[in-house]
Amino acid sequence: MAATIDIKSLSKTFGTGPQAVHAFGPVDLTIEAGSFVSLLGPSGCGKSTLMLMVAGLLEASEGAIYFDGERVGAPRTDIGIMFQDNTLVPWRSVEGNIALQLELRGLDPKPYAGRIRDLLRSVKLDGFAARHPYELSGGMQQRAAFCQALVHEPETLLFDEPLGKLDAMTRESIRTDLQALWMTRRPTVVFVTHSIEEAVQLSSVVCVVTPRPGRIERTIEIDLPWPRDMEVKASPAFTRYVHDIQGIFRDYGVL
Amino acid sequence: MVSSNAPRDPVPAGAGRLIRAVEWLVLRIAAAWPFLLFFVGFFLFWEYAVILFGVPGYILPTPSEIVTRGWADIPRLLDYTLVTGTESVLGYLLAVAVGLPIGLAIAFSPMLRRTVYPFFVSLEMVPKIAFAPLFIAWLGFGLLPKVIIVVLVCFFPVALNSIHAFGSLSDELTRFCRSTGAGPLRTFWKVRLPAALPQCFVGFKYAALNATVGATIAEFMGSDQGLGFYISIATGNMRPDLAFAGIFFLTLLGLALFGCVTLAERLLIPWHISQRRH
Repeated sequence: MAATIDIKSLSKTFGTGPQAVHAFGPVDLTIEAGSFVSLLGPSGCGKSTLMLMVAGLLEASEGAIYFDGERVGAPRTDIGIMFQDNTLVPWRSVEGNIALQLELRGLDPKPYAGRIRDLLRSVKLDGFAARHPYELSGGMQQRAAFCQALVHEPETLLFDEPLGKLDAMTRESIRTDLQALWMTRRPTVVFVTHSIEEAVQLSSVVCVVTPRPGRIERTIEIDLPWPRDMEVKASPAFTRYVHDIQGIFRDYGVL
Repeated sequence: MVSSNAPRDPVPAGAGRLIRAVEWLVLRIAAAWPFLLFFVGFFLFWEYAVILFGVPGYILPTPSEIVTRGWADIPRLLDYTLVTGTESVLGYLLAVAVGLPIGLAIAFSPMLRRTVYPFFVSLEMVPKIAFAPLFIAWLGFGLLPKVIIVVLVCFFPVALNSIHAFGSLSDELTRFCRSTGAGPLRTFWKVRLPAALPQCFVGFKYAALNATVGATIAEFMGSDQGLGFYISIATGNMRPDLAFAGIFFLTLLGLALFGCVTLAERLLIPWHISQRRH
């Protein structure tokens, strides 16, 4: 079952003494089970730092994070994680890279062959299983990384600007896949992005993060119909959300 | 009338393979012609310049003299190639066997990184070959001092590149591995080791180039056999023709060692960008 994530008085400072950099917080936030929450903010605001702390990959300076009431004290192994630079290794094929997620967990990938095939089909990569990452375009690599993050069926997905380096058309296409996945399986998703339009299109909740030290300025529930296709994106309500969020960043001098 | 069932390729399979091989060879030669032309031109220029300017043979022999006199001394040249080759290969393998685990240990131990690593970097600045006379004085004319000198000149490229290789896994991959809960050993075999191999091979190849240089200089310093000894004696006896023949065999030895390492690289990391054929 998807987890509820509670973030309590969380902050992060890097370094000590006069060299210390207060990167993030304090922040209180509840991410409801099965919601799609975007952390939206300018570069360097600490949104990726928050995501790493949620994953248990970075220790908080103060405060705590709870997954269904259980305090995060070590890397969470029940999550799927995806970064801007993908985690595909060049010496394995696409299929081998997806299996790597399982092998690192000590699982035999053989029983998962069918699931890997289904995942590849769902992101239109069937026929590319035996290819190596360097034989794929940037968009195809991110799709493969997407399958890698999902193969062990995590109920919580953390995405750190996974579409940041892709061209506009590929981004749009992968957003559609992501949306379809979330609508079907309803995992809890934390999605870090600096694209306002992307956040509004994909999320049930958008958390607007201020410039450093990042704080959550506003939590906005996006009340738009699903699936959020081109038609929804062209609607006045969608434009209003984008415009309101732009206004917040304009007040901070970011835009 | 031509039958529609006639075989499309009337050449038998064996002959077909031969034709393809010849085609491949012709194409390779065709692709390499600028180099071959330069190579042949260089030796022709050498040959005729020596004759034209009347350079005496004890100063600079012609390539044809080098080939003729080298061929006459071929048994000794082959024996000495084996001697220098043994020193180079033994020293090289020992340097890899010692340098790789030490590099690995330093990459993973913050304590060793703070203590041994700066020491190694400082030692890298020392011309290791300067130790050669000392080792000859301590250990005599045998195989051991030569092997130690080869180890010295090969060890640092192997160790320093291994430290770099094992210590530079990307943040994303490190985090990905941690998020799976994989232990250090599993992470090492599945991710860290293969990711480190390309950089390790940079060290292995550099060391392979150093190996024959180390062995030759060690033989210059004190030896009674080997190609370094041969070149040194030939030069002393005003026989540059034989010295060049020795240099030719040293070059072949260096190429063979480097070729073996390159082949191992091709077999172990065919996926790396340096190995891909487009």
